[in-house]
Amino acid sequence: MVKLAAKCILTGDSAVGKSALAQMFCNDGAHFQKNYTLTTGVELLVKTISVPETSDSVELFLFDSAGKELFSEMMEKLWEQPNVLCIVYDVTNEQSFNNCAKWLEKLRAQTLGMHLPGVLVGNKTDLIGRRVVEQKWAKEWADIHGLQYCETSVKEMENIEAPFHILANSFHRLYREKVETFHSLV
Amino acid sequence: MKSTDLCLSSRGSEVVLVTSSDEKYPPENIIDGSSETFWTTTGMFPQEFIISFHKCVKISKLTIQCYLVRSLRIEKSLSKNPVDFEVCTEKDLQYTEGALQTEEFSLPEFQATYLRFIIKSAFDHFVSVHTVMAEGVAENL
Ligand SMILES: Nc1nc2c(ncn2[C@@H]2O[C@H](COP(=O)(O)OP(=O)(O)OP(=O)(O)O)[C@@H](O)[C@H]2O)c(=O)[nH]1
Ligand SMILES: [Mg+2]
Repeated sequence: MVKLAAKCILTGDSAVGKSALAQMFCNDGAHFQKNYTLTTGVELLVKTISVPETSDSVELFLFDSAGKELFSEMMEKLWEQPNVLCIVYDVTNEQSFNNCAKWLEKLRAQTLGMHLPGVLVGNKTDLIGRRVVEQKWAKEWADIHGLQYCETSVKEMENIEAPFHILANSFHRLYREKVETFHSLV
Repeated sequence: MKSTDLCLSSRGSEVVLVTSSDEKYPPENIIDGSSETFWTTTGMFPQEFIISFHKCVKISKLTIQCYLVRSLRIEKSLSKNPVDFEVCTEKDLQYTEGALQTEEFSLPEFQATYLRFIIKSAFDHFVSVHTVMAEGVAENL
């Protein structure tokens, strides 16, 4: 039985629903906030996730980061040595999808060539009539960039655990692989 | 007096603090005298461990065998409790693909009751520490 700890950077454009996602996931029974409060800098939330078919778990330290460019310098310091990443966009906002490339690039610059499990999240799927980013494109883009993909509606509480379970499982797999390597050294 | 490895648990030394641990790869593996067994960190840096000698020792050389450690700081304390640490040495290690990092620190002889190892950053999400050796003599108090 082992409890791993992963620093998870949660990023993406402003108002795509990062804080809503993090809060609904971390605080069981939290209410969906209709009113938007912008995040300044970074807010830290913690949640432990168990890894299926093992007695292991992963403690995710979620760094819910501001989408507003304004805070980006301060954030780079707080983003040091990340373990996993979660990039969120709003399926009704094409610009927020296009900017994912920029967020990914910024994060990869922090990792010094290390492999980082990541997930791309398309949020606000409840706004059916207003959707502009097709699931197919987004998924393709995620594949090309080595990210997993999922869609959520924080408002409807749909699929909100999925991105974090994906990340926890990937991180756990990395640990298992690394331990194998450690064994093979001597 | 003959110089020996003072860190060995068989000589009474002990790891008294560790910031993370997998019960399969416990910190005792660092001081069991074997490089085959190891301690793993379980995510996020910095990570540290403290070795207690349970007495005052004089150390002239430190050796660590590990993997994927990037930046390491070693501190010492002469107190009865693991407090008041002072920096011994600090180093950025080389990346050694597929082979253990063996790092020797030849230092001016110093006294200590505790040694603290802080892994500040790494080349990967996790590192392993296989052995720590401290050559020197136990003081006759
Ligand atoms: N319809 C709908 N609205 C949502 C959903 N998720 C979040 N929102 C709304 O989107 C707005 C912005 O949400 P936040 O979570 O604050 O956005 P953010 O990404 O943290 O924004 P910054 O902190 O500025 O980076 C809020 O008004 C939320 O109520 C969703 O799934 N569906
Ligand atoms: Mg926010």
